[in-house]
Amino acid sequence: MNINSLILRNLKKNLRNYYLYVFALIFSSGLYFAFVTLQYDKSMDPVEGSVKGSAGIGTASILLIAIVAVFLLYANMIFIKQRSKEIGLFQLIGMTKNRVFGLLSAENAILYFGSLVIGVALGFIGSKLLIMILFKITGVEGIASLSFSPRALLQTFIFFLCVYVLILLMNLFFIKRQTILSLFRVKSQTEMTARKLSVFQVIIGILGIAFIATGYILSGKLFDGDFSTMVELFGGMIFILFSVILGTYLFYKGSVAFLVSLIRKQKGGYLNIKQVLSLSSIMFRMKSNAALLTIITTVSALAIGLLSLSYITYYSAESTAYNYTGGKDFYLLTEKDAEAFRQVLDEADIAYKENKAEVYTTMLDIEDILQTALEMNFDASMMETVFISEDAAGIEVAPDELKLTGYNEMLQRFMSLKGEGDVTVHGKDSEVALHYTGLQDEYPVSNYYTMGGLPTMVVDETVFEQLKQDLDPEIAQEYTLYFGYEIEGKDQLEKANELFKQLDLEAADFSDSRIDVAEDQKSSIGLVLFIVGFLGLTFLVTSGCILYFKQMDEAESEKANYTILRKLGFTTTDLRRGIQRKQLFNFGIPLVIGLFHSYFAVQSGWFLFGTSMLTPMIIVMVIYTILYSIFGILSVIHYNKVIKNSL
Amino acid sequence: MGILEATRVQKNYGNKFNKQEVLRGVDLSIEAGEFVGIMGSSGSGKTTLLNVLSSIDYASSGTILIQNNEITNMKEKQLAEFRKNHLGFVFQEYNLLDTLTVKENILLPLSIKKVPKKEANQKFEEVANQLGIFDIQNKYPSEISGGQKQRTSAARAFIHEPSIIFADEPTGALDSKSASDLLNKLSSLNQNRKATIVMVTHDPAAASYCSRVIFIKDGQIYTQLNKGQQERQAFFKDIMATQGVLSGVQNEH
Repeated sequence: MNINSLILRNLKKNLRNYYLYVFALIFSSGLYFAFVTLQYDKSMDPVEGSVKGSAGIGTASILLIAIVAVFLLYANMIFIKQRSKEIGLFQLIGMTKNRVFGLLSAENAILYFGSLVIGVALGFIGSKLLIMILFKITGVEGIASLSFSPRALLQTFIFFLCVYVLILLMNLFFIKRQTILSLFRVKSQTEMTARKLSVFQVIIGILGIAFIATGYILSGKLFDGDFSTMVELFGGMIFILFSVILGTYLFYKGSVAFLVSLIRKQKGGYLNIKQVLSLSSIMFRMKSNAALLTIITTVSALAIGLLSLSYITYYSAESTAYNYTGGKDFYLLTEKDAEAFRQVLDEADIAYKENKAEVYTTMLDIEDILQTALEMNFDASMMETVFISEDAAGIEVAPDELKLTGYNEMLQRFMSLKGEGDVTVHGKDSEVALHYTGLQDEYPVSNYYTMGGLPTMVVDETVFEQLKQDLDPEIAQEYTLYFGYEIEGKDQLEKANELFKQLDLEAADFSDSRIDVAEDQKSSIGLVLFIVGFLGLTFLVTSGCILYFKQMDEAESEKANYTILRKLGFTTTDLRRGIQRKQLFNFGIPLVIGLFHSYFAVQSGWFLFGTSMLTPMIIVMVIYTILYSIFGILSVIHYNKVIKNSL
Repeated sequence: MGILEATRVQKNYGNKFNKQEVLRGVDLSIEAGEFVGIMGSSGSGKTTLLNVLSSIDYASSGTILIQNNEITNMKEKQLAEFRKNHLGFVFQEYNLLDTLTVKENILLPLSIKKVPKKEANQKFEEVANQLGIFDIQNKYPSEISGGQKQRTSAARAFIHEPSIIFADEPTGALDSKSASDLLNKLSSLNQNRKATIVMVTHDPAAASYCSRVIFIKDGQIYTQLNKGQQERQAFFKDIMATQGVLSGVQNEH
């Protein structure tokens, strides 16, 4: 047998064992190529142009490089360790280290560049699909015609060549450093030695849980007004991040073992097969993989969190647009514009409801109803606020009463108001004392007046007339009218929108249609969502693969245990059940912690991104969990194979 | 009728072009309460015999009855069921799960049979005291000595009171002090508990603790020795003598 056939045989054997590695290689090269192709494609120009997309895509591609490179190197490290016996054997029969290195490199090269070619081919097909998805979510009209980009190919090739060289260096280092004897031994050195739990570990375990809990509790309070300056706010964020990440590490290092040992103590030494396979092995192994698991958990949390936030923004586009336009399909600011719009609607025979409001600005003193406020440069006794009459708002108000409405969730966090209290409205010369009785959710007027979510005053008709007579011209706005239009048949909306766009308006910059506002928002967040989703998927696949490889390793080292257990009379079914339980923990713990982290992160600041949190976040989490579970299931299948062969 | 009856047991490896006969028709009968040693040089098939007798490996032909249960045509699931009720194992490599404590390891066979916890604890105390490992019950295998590990392994084999205990070179990895310690324990368990033990060994000293020693050569029973009423030392000399005859390369002429 010459060296070439040796390489080929090894390759054949490895393909069977490491199909997931090959898959991951193909997947990551395909993904990368697709991404770079998008970056260079002309049909992307409208998307990129819309939101400085090229910068976003550029940053994303660097992140992608980092994830893929780390993943490939890590996977290689696992595999070379698994093959140490083989390497030792080659040396034993007289091959020099350089020769062995050459052998491995040749083998890697075939595997690696073979996958690369397949990956690039799939990536090219995939990029067309991706760009179609991208167009769909950003709402850009375009035909997904892609041309093969030699530049993208070159970039992909160079990147993977660099990773390949790094892998070679790693292998070289590994081989050079080892003696024949230690190569044989590597595999038998399990990562753990089971010992009794020390007091130190118990402390670590409790600290881990405490750190995480502290981080979670603080995250809930972050925007509740306890942190009142920007510096405090920023410090709080850093502290939470630090405490949660450190907590996660300590959790894996000690808490898992600590909790498991509590359960075991309760059993008094009498464990059933499920507990034998799951609890006892997790107790020791999680500890030795603490750093890896922390990274996986943290980045998972990051991926889920970012995905949730961008999806929240995307998801909230409609309701944000709704608030932006004052809850109407269209809004206009001048009588002349309104007349023009009414005319075209009548001509087209479209039924509509009109809502007209006079909107004026005055000064409001809210000092007495202010609960907490972030220290910023503003004067609570002189707040520029718009007011409308109760009829226009559709909210009933008593003559001495004041209601506020349409106060943005985000601003509320920074400046929260009491349930009721006394306020004073300042006109130019006079002032009116009113009793503030509460906050309403509706946005009766458009963004032009509410400035992105400042509250609108609603007052009694008589008070409104009184205030109107005493306006301060210095703070008066250019327009003082609001015309909102609601189209009655929803099927006519599209047509009305076309007509609206053709109008020649005098206040064109301040008039808008709800559909357009929502679409604008979707297209700007769409690209972000796309990039984050792309990176999230890459990360999901790579971290899933890493956990799977780890499990492959673990299965190999636990094979002897399965032999013992089967000799003792446990059936393969018993063992399988135990393994299922074990994998539930092995994959479940990092996932659940990641989900919790991201939940608390999202929960603390979601209102900065949109109007509804739960639905979009749950959708993201469910999808992530399903995709992630695939790797858990694959690992169970692998274990079943190992168990079957263990006797 | 013995507790274990094996008739014309054969075991072949390889395919029909390259067949290797490891066991060539072994007939064996073991009575309840016996302590039987199986000896033979390496390659004689003694470990294969043990594996086949203990249902870990399939026999190519022949029948094996343990307490009138024919194990040679049982399915995988029935075999597992049978092993958990009737068999106990002690191995050279201890075969302890290193993530479990001594007590947890010993209680494993009872957990398969779902024995109530109280009864399990009682049995554990009994067997652990007999083998002198009660004090180390909460230690992990990595924290105890080889002899202690092997006694743990023995305790695990005895705790569920199986019909037969199979031991494969139990003293192979032990120093002579621990080895004789273990063998004394085994033979006292054999006497006190009326446990049947089948032990494979290549060490004549270990074999001299048995009540009967069977010699295997080239896959067949060559001869056997009964201890009878003689002292262990005398029995040891007999075993040595037989082994002397047995060993060595077959003379062509």
